[in-house]
Amino acid sequence: MSKSIFIDTTICTACRACQVACKQWHDLPAEETINVGSHQNPRDLSFETYKLVRMKEEIINGKLEWLFFPDQCRHCEEAPCLEAAYDESAIYRDDATGAIIYTRETRKLDADDIIAACPYDVPRKAADGTLAKCDMCNDRVHNGLKPACVTACPTGAMNFGERDEMLGLAEKKLKMAREKFPKARLLNPDEVNVIYLVGFEPELYSEYAVAGATRKGGISRSVALRRMVSPLARLMRV
Amino acid sequence: MKLDRRDFMKFSGAAAAGIAVSGLGFDLKPVKSHAGMLKTRYAKETTTICCYCAVGCGAIVHTSKRGDGRVINIEGDPDHVINRGALCSKGSSLKQLTENENRLTEPMYRAPYSDKWQTVSWDWALDKIAERVKKTRDTSFETTNAKGQTVNRTTRMASVGSAAMDNEECWIYQALMRSLGLVYVEHQARI
Repeated sequence: MSKSIFIDTTICTACRACQVACKQWHDLPAEETINVGSHQNPRDLSFETYKLVRMKEEIINGKLEWLFFPDQCRHCEEAPCLEAAYDESAIYRDDATGAIIYTRETRKLDADDIIAACPYDVPRKAADGTLAKCDMCNDRVHNGLKPACVTACPTGAMNFGERDEMLGLAEKKLKMAREKFPKARLLNPDEVNVIYLVGFEPELYSEYAVAGATRKGGISRSVALRRMVSPLARLMRV
Repeated sequence: MKLDRRDFMKFSGAAAAGIAVSGLGFDLKPVKSHAGMLKTRYAKETTTICCYCAVGCGAIVHTSKRGDGRVINIEGDPDHVINRGALCSKGSSLKQLTENENRLTEPMYRAPYSDKWQTVSWDWALDKIAERVKKTRDTSFETTNAKGQTVNRTTRMASVGSAAMDNEECWIYQALMRSLGLVYVEHQARI
């Protein structure tokens, strides 16, 4: 059984505590940023920014809605990046937590191939081609702590626990959210371990909020091949 | 390496499986564990209160036991009754109060009409502040207003700060400012 994060964006206030706590725990440096007319900062995820609160202003039913989306790796149940890499020294799944972990060995991989494989557009590369993204604070989780982002969240938008427990909480919160947001839905709950609850159409929050066949993440031939053999390979993992 | 019987069975089973599929082109590199140890494992833990606002969130400071005593990590205290582990974005960055290469460690001075900052000594800076406060206060002090009422004030100086002070520090600060005759005493969080 894997661990999951449940993010209720309908109660997110975009305080960015999660974003800063992530930087703080991982000792990641700040980025130079410029004012682009949005409070979202920095503009995108990067090799040094694993967690980013995306902010969009949308007029919905004649009313201005400010949409917040704390973006991060989804730690997919069947991770396309892991399948695309096919090298456990570079990208592996921690069987105890379900976290998809990137190591320094990712520098040997074709970074663009891995990035293209991600339906959520999450991994980012350094100048030398090393890849980085959220590791679900695997060190903390193994030592009985919650991920830094979840610990920091002051509104309860971010939650962490066993997958079953989080799916249950997500369903419960979805029912509550529907009263206020008729279009509320969970994003790919059966496929990912970072489950989002959104109040409006997911495309409004981020282009890659939800995995879709029409966008990125179309399966390449090499990934399809690996997917065929991966159940067998997994069996071999002791 | 010590193996008990059960481990031995597992081990030999895995080895057999490895041999069985090694000819098929599978990559059987061992899964590395990168999750082993927390960076705060051997750190000293001290509780503190966030210095930024009046909410008073509790935090845990992890400092190195290696003798340099540097801060390794600061995060919300899950046992604290106010915040139960949560912090805002400013609170989450508390570590940077001490561990940040961009932090100023010496007083800086920009002369009037200058466009440059220069490093000065603490003694020079404190003397200069005292000298200018005294001069401005003495030249602007009003004992009575236009109606002849006693006011004992100066309106040529203002104080802006400080959110990082605790209750007792604020009392001392207020006492000092009022004794100088300041009437504009403000807190930057309101501006």
